[in-house]
Amino acid sequence: MKLLNRKRTKKRSPKVANRLGMLGGGMVLFLVVMAIGAPWFAPYDPTERVGLPFQPPSAAHLLGTNDVGQDLLSELIYGARVSLTVGIVAALVALVLGTSVGVLAGYYPKRLGRFLMQGVDVILILPFLPLLIILAAYLGRSLLNTIVVIGVLIWAGPSRIIRSQVLSLRSREYVLASRTMGAPDRWAIMRHVLPRTALLATGTFVRAVSTAILLEAALSFLGLGDPLQKSWGSILFWAQSRGAFLTPAWKWWVLPPGIMIMVASLGFALVAFAMEERINPRL
Amino acid sequence: MRPLGLRNIFRYLAVFVVAVSLNFMLPRLMPGNPLALLAGVDVGLMTPAERAEVIEAVGLDAPLIQQFIDYWWSVLRLDLGFSFRSERQISEMIMERLPWTLLITVGSLAVSAVVGIVLGGFSAWRRGKKSDLSLLTGMISLQSLPSFWLGMLLISVFSVQLGWFPSFGAVTPASDFEGWGHIGDIAKHAILPIVTLTVLSIPGVYLTMRYAMLEVLGSDFIRTARAKGASEARVLFGHVARNAIAPVVTFLAIRFAFAFGGSVIIETVFSYPGLGRLIFEAVSGRDYPVMQATFLVFTVAVLVANLVADLLYPILDPRMRVR
Amino acid sequence: MKKRLSIPILIACLTLVAAACSSESDPTTTTVTGGDPTTTLAGDPTTTTAATPAEPVVVRAAITGDEDTINPYTYISGFPGWNLLMMQYDTLMQLDADGVPQPWLADTISANGDLTEYTLTIVDNASWHDGTPLTVDDVKFSLDYFIEKATGRFSRDLRGVVAIAVSGDNGIVISLAAPNPAFDLVALADIPIIPRHIWEGIDDPGERAFDISTNVGSGPFMMTEYESDQFYRFVSNPDYFRGVPAVDELVVIVFADDAGALAAIRSGEVDVSFERVSPEQIALLDAQDPLDISQGPEFTTQMINFDASKAPFSDVVVRQAMSLAIDSQDIVDTVYLGAATVGSPGWVHPGKPAYNPAVEATFDPAAANALLEGAGYIDTDGDGIREFGGEPMSFDMITNSSDSLRLRIAELTAAMLGDVGIEITVVSVETATWEEAVWPGFDINNGRNYDIAVWGWSAPVQANTIRIADLVNSDPGIGFLNLTGFSNAEVDAISSQLLTEADPATSQQLIGDLQVLLADQVPFVLLAYPDGAYVYNSEVYADWEFIAGQGIVSKVSLLPASARP
Repeated sequence: MKLLNRKRTKKRSPKVANRLGMLGGGMVLFLVVMAIGAPWFAPYDPTERVGLPFQPPSAAHLLGTNDVGQDLLSELIYGARVSLTVGIVAALVALVLGTSVGVLAGYYPKRLGRFLMQGVDVILILPFLPLLIILAAYLGRSLLNTIVVIGVLIWAGPSRIIRSQVLSLRSREYVLASRTMGAPDRWAIMRHVLPRTALLATGTFVRAVSTAILLEAALSFLGLGDPLQKSWGSILFWAQSRGAFLTPAWKWWVLPPGIMIMVASLGFALVAFAMEERINPRL
Repeated sequence: MRPLGLRNIFRYLAVFVVAVSLNFMLPRLMPGNPLALLAGVDVGLMTPAERAEVIEAVGLDAPLIQQFIDYWWSVLRLDLGFSFRSERQISEMIMERLPWTLLITVGSLAVSAVVGIVLGGFSAWRRGKKSDLSLLTGMISLQSLPSFWLGMLLISVFSVQLGWFPSFGAVTPASDFEGWGHIGDIAKHAILPIVTLTVLSIPGVYLTMRYAMLEVLGSDFIRTARAKGASEARVLFGHVARNAIAPVVTFLAIRFAFAFGGSVIIETVFSYPGLGRLIFEAVSGRDYPVMQATFLVFTVAVLVANLVADLLYPILDPRMRVR
Repeated sequence: MKKRLSIPILIACLTLVAAACSSESDPTTTTVTGGDPTTTLAGDPTTTTAATPAEPVVVRAAITGDEDTINPYTYISGFPGWNLLMMQYDTLMQLDADGVPQPWLADTISANGDLTEYTLTIVDNASWHDGTPLTVDDVKFSLDYFIEKATGRFSRDLRGVVAIAVSGDNGIVISLAAPNPAFDLVALADIPIIPRHIWEGIDDPGERAFDISTNVGSGPFMMTEYESDQFYRFVSNPDYFRGVPAVDELVVIVFADDAGALAAIRSGEVDVSFERVSPEQIALLDAQDPLDISQGPEFTTQMINFDASKAPFSDVVVRQAMSLAIDSQDIVDTVYLGAATVGSPGWVHPGKPAYNPAVEATFDPAAANALLEGAGYIDTDGDGIREFGGEPMSFDMITNSSDSLRLRIAELTAAMLGDVGIEITVVSVETATWEEAVWPGFDINNGRNYDIAVWGWSAPVQANTIRIADLVNSDPGIGFLNLTGFSNAEVDAISSQLLTEADPATSQQLIGDLQVLLADQVPFVLLAYPDGAYVYNSEVYADWEFIAGQGIVSKVSLLPASARP
């Protein structure tokens, strides 16, 4: 009863956000545990051919087998490793790059900002696809390179949005005040600009995680990833290339990885939502 | 409107020069060569002399610097040249594709802009309430859908199972539709790609709008306005929305510019004859002139979009002044 | 209580948006299936095969990838591009259902004793699509033109031709520098005859932008419409010299990939697929009415290549061990679900008359291990990987990621080789990158940039058994497809002799011996010859002819039985 009362009077309840954050954290934790404990949870080694190809679900293979007889459930469990790693690390790369460049360019809009934004403009303008093929060809195909490629490709957009924000913050009273009082730029950035940008950056990071996971899947779909890497994206690639979309197999081969991707993305988003509440409670 | 200073003009020129030069380098940096495309699949059956002849005919035997100069010269004359593969005018090929790509991307962008801005604004206004949370959750879930997964599922359900919409192409091949029948035919082919693209781009608009709104809602002058006793609606529409729209416009402008790069995945799934497929095929086959030309179109589109966003920013966000 | 706005509502909104769009469309065409006015022939199947003016037979076919304007200088792919080219043009001879060349534009064909001179007479009732009669002058012009203006395939076909002479009203004599026992198969049944009055003004066919108006052929179909990357429309030629085609209109629709084509055939939007159906779809499609499957052996190959010019693959023992370690039957069963023939280590398809039954694939990992141990490839540091010259036997196996079956082959083969102590890392790259590594610049003189690769040849390479030298001869002028850098004196001698051997019995003997030799020397590991399987809607058109090694995509399929070879 007390809880309800408080909720009504405060108009907005951090409890709801916290609870959603817990839920998201639970989802992420679930996936992380699944990724780390994959060898114990998975009934089979996902790279071994343990059954006949194209088997529907059975007691031995709860989600059936894929086109060469590998266990789909085991692939799904191991898939958490690749998809989460690619998603989180690539998004971190993008977050660090994008925020630093965005804040610097926004706070120093003159020479440095112009130069940085010029670089961002060039990157945004470069055609994505051949860039990817060139990078993949020169770096070779490995998990690390997929991460680097995705991270490098997605930071530029967020940096522009953050720059817009900083540019707008920069001319606000408190920043102007701290500047006229002779405080160093570093102080103004840390005290005023970064906290107010963190919200946007968090949102960007959330988007970057799911973008990275989706990009990994999309790259596989176009044949530009490493389809033998066991990720959810590559499970979908095989489902697509062996026609599972158009057969009853879509229920156990196509739906689960798609759902896992959604769960992962949603989990992160909810965590970020709760974080955002904490970072900037005034909002 | 802020006048476009010399500095800015120089800045755009610099980006243009660097990007267009890179567009020349990119195809040539890629492994593999266009010989297969120039000579056809029977390239292996040719003698070395015949191969050299093929390479010479398109000027690929010239020194790189010469090719680079020729390339810039043709860019400046707006001459996009001929495709290695089809030996057709590239400008003609692009004009064939562009309308289709614009139809599905602009169609979906328009829908998602309206829906995304309205829902994003609503969500920020109802911040922390159940409606906000459900919307946010729903949007992020939508954003997490792999695009080809969604496209294939739509084809499975609406084309294969129900037979409501065609599963491929932009028009019914070799049909004799006239007038409204023709337009109806085009619309029917465009619906599934547009739905897919819309579902995929609404969350972007929504999230950008929502975050921007929240940021504005938390800023000092809004609290001042509230403290002065302005009505909630006045605060929302008079101050917040007006100040929050700038990032959304930037977002939409860039998304629109990216339409000129086509949407490879959606066009592949739906066999839609847009620019994305042209680019993908040119890249796969190393069709250098087509790659250069499509990259150029893309480059110019993105530059123009940036320019427009830059020019609009001070108008949309009155707080911002860059000296 | 606050109103809850959730995902279902959102989806409902989207559906409304979609519905709003669809209301713009013409109410009379609410469904696509059957909405096309040109395809109102889902009635009695017997009437559809016999063309009647009232109900034209229209066949809509799916291909993946545009083929440009489809004339001899613009078509893109060997399959189905060449096959579509031949809908509009004719060859002097035409393959029958067994894959044997039969008289076509030439009604008599004879060769002299040592197979250096071919004498042909040209039919007198053939004409071009514009009404001009097709004469022996056109034939001579075509051959001269292809020799002069390089096209790759057709110019290559005619290498070795030293003279072409018209004799009498409709005779032509083609003289060769050396005997060529397969000239009928590789040249006469391969080269399109083009009209002199259209082409004689064209000096540089490679530079010219072709369009529909230049596609004047003599074949059973005429291209009347082409939308790049969308579709082709062919209409039947009522004056075709073999008789009126059984199909009145052929619409070829371009898809971006197999999945799109498959969805379209299942939803009834196309009537036949000119792309091979992948193995897992065969049974599923066959079970769906009114779809049927036409299946048979084809001559495409899937193989493992290695750079035999460098260690350790230059050692025949390593190659033999690799061949023994790979279970081709498993690949046929697992990857192709049985819809393929196990590869013969002697290269020749078991369905061909030249096949030597004494040669067969052996899977024996124990023997492979013993061979490697015996030759000193031993795992000295106990990590499960053998060493050679102090280096571990670890290699990259390169394959193109756009071919999913090939990727699976790589995955399976890597595991099999791992079992005998050769560690393989599968590297999947984009097709152009893969080609450049295996066959740089499409010229073997440029060498090779790979250790092991999954590779495959198209059907024409297998079709002509005599040209086995192309693949295994170490002289780059002869063995221009020798991508593995294989070299063996005895193989060189027999394969060269085979090229010019005029006596069929000796030729057969040589091919038999060569297969035994190749099985022992292992220039590559041939894994399988995948079957061709094609899906069609039997209610629209059912008389597809499967040409052994070539599949159903040919003009023969679209002609009435009386007009077939």
